[in-house]
Amino acid sequence: MDFYYSLAQIIGFHALIGLSAYVVLQTGQVSLAQAGFFAIGAYVAAMLTVLAGWHLVPAMLAAGVAAAVMACIVGFPALRVRGLMLVIATLAFGEAVRLFFFNFDYQIAKGGVKVGPLGGEGFRQIRWFPEHGWTSFDVMLFVWAVVALVAGALWWMDRSRFGAVLRAVGEDELAAQSVGLNLTAVKVAAMTIGGFIAGLGGAIYAHYTTHIEHSNFNVLLATFAIAYPILGGLRNVFGTIVAVIFVQGFLVEGLRFLGDWRNLLFGALIVLAMNLRPNGLIDAATAQRLARLFGRETRRA
Amino acid sequence: MGFVDYVQAIIDGLLFGTTYSLIGIGFTLVFGVMHKINMSYAAASLAGAYCGLAGPQLLSLPLWSVFPISIVAAGVIGYLIYLACFRFIPLASPLAPLMSTVGMLLLVDEIVVHATAGMPQNYPAIYDGDPIELGAFILRADLLGVFLISLVAMVVLLLLLYRTRLGMATRAVAQQPVAAQLCGMRLQAVNGLTFVMSGLLGGVAGAMIGASVGMLSPLISGTITVKGLIVTVIGGLGSIPGAIVAGLLVGAAENLFQAMRNVTERDIYVMLLLFVFLVLRPNGLFAAGRGRD
Repeated sequence: MDFYYSLAQIIGFHALIGLSAYVVLQTGQVSLAQAGFFAIGAYVAAMLTVLAGWHLVPAMLAAGVAAAVMACIVGFPALRVRGLMLVIATLAFGEAVRLFFFNFDYQIAKGGVKVGPLGGEGFRQIRWFPEHGWTSFDVMLFVWAVVALVAGALWWMDRSRFGAVLRAVGEDELAAQSVGLNLTAVKVAAMTIGGFIAGLGGAIYAHYTTHIEHSNFNVLLATFAIAYPILGGLRNVFGTIVAVIFVQGFLVEGLRFLGDWRNLLFGALIVLAMNLRPNGLIDAATAQRLARLFGRETRRA
Repeated sequence: MGFVDYVQAIIDGLLFGTTYSLIGIGFTLVFGVMHKINMSYAAASLAGAYCGLAGPQLLSLPLWSVFPISIVAAGVIGYLIYLACFRFIPLASPLAPLMSTVGMLLLVDEIVVHATAGMPQNYPAIYDGDPIELGAFILRADLLGVFLISLVAMVVLLLLLYRTRLGMATRAVAQQPVAAQLCGMRLQAVNGLTFVMSGLLGGVAGAMIGASVGMLSPLISGTITVKGLIVTVIGGLGSIPGAIVAGLLVGAAENLFQAMRNVTERDIYVMLLLFVFLVLRPNGLFAAGRGRD
């Protein structure tokens, strides 16, 4: 059973990083920096709980804020460029963060053992969950409570005026600008929110694995982050979550019996999916069809 | 570390930088023609270089056959990537080809890992003669060979683009796809050929990287992808002279940072260099003219 709890936790924090990319994608920007924000969240939260002895929840919030501040700072220069240039700029930023943690040493002695991040060896002994007697099941509930909170907030945001503003910028920047929207402010805001969510995800991830190192936060993770919303479609948050469950639950875990071939299949499936459904698995037309389907069913019942 | 060492580091970096230039040109060429980024380009170039190794290892051909096989194989892979990631995806959805080429990047890398069992493969040097001494400085003969071959590849590409009918068609499609079609050019054929051209160039780059590093390993492709993209941005998307200059710049800067700090910190400063350019010259060194469409 623990295996399934653990799988549900993995799906949980992948959903968080996917949702962080979802917010940024709403404004039409593709950011490969999400793995970097995830890493910042992971290291900040782990340092606060292990080195400073904080409780997990304030440490998580602080990690989210730290990642959000970083996203905001990076947002200004990076968002001067658009489209593909931004992809490259954010890719470089994500790599820079990873390399920073590769070179980052900050260890203090605690109870006879040295703890803290140590360059290439990473950061061991992030044991907040076991120290406080949380079982795998508790952790899973906690992870999914956070996911539900974030997804709910984004669902509400999609329906609010702010969501409409994000979409307007994503659909057509020129039109959005001519109705008086401040493009830079909107994009940096989306980037900041995305950074906060990625930071939360990273914080949970660090405590789930108990050992983080720079190679956990590579380009592959950044690719996963944008792959979820793009595969799931940008109509609503559920597309992203469905994509995470499909990728992590089915492709990564479900196909484990294929061994090495599984990794080959993953790249090939992305290529295939983009050829068959260039606008995502749940695109506008499918979303409408689903809404109609469910609408009819509720009327019947 | 004295002044001489720093100048020496810059010289080595400039010589190796030509391979970055080649990768940058490949990215920029596809961007110029299709306004899309082929994220799998650097991985495919290295995959071509891996294919070259099959010559001596599996078919027991002479060692020098590695280089021509690498180049041809990379060209073929380039066309396959065009078919898989661009040909059948509507141009109107900008995210789809980006995502499909990222998928292709993962696929190509995995195929390489699978074929080589993840082991680094030795790659022959172009020329293993004595280094040439110029006063206090040394020119490594193998890097000089890399430099010259890369230079030849660039000249051939520029001749192809500016002196042949194919090149004219490529430039026409880059400027105005609709008008080019109205003049009777087949868009798909030109796009496909652009991929073959950039693939061949990537094959040269992949072989030269293998030859100067002395081996190929699956770990290289990520770094080369990032460096190639940085070169493309610093040079200005779509600008071939920009990519050449930026490649040399990144190569020299990277080696200088390595001499001043160390290998693990080197790439952080290269990324910072990119951010400096994004802030000061967001359109790159040689920005393409605005409002072409």
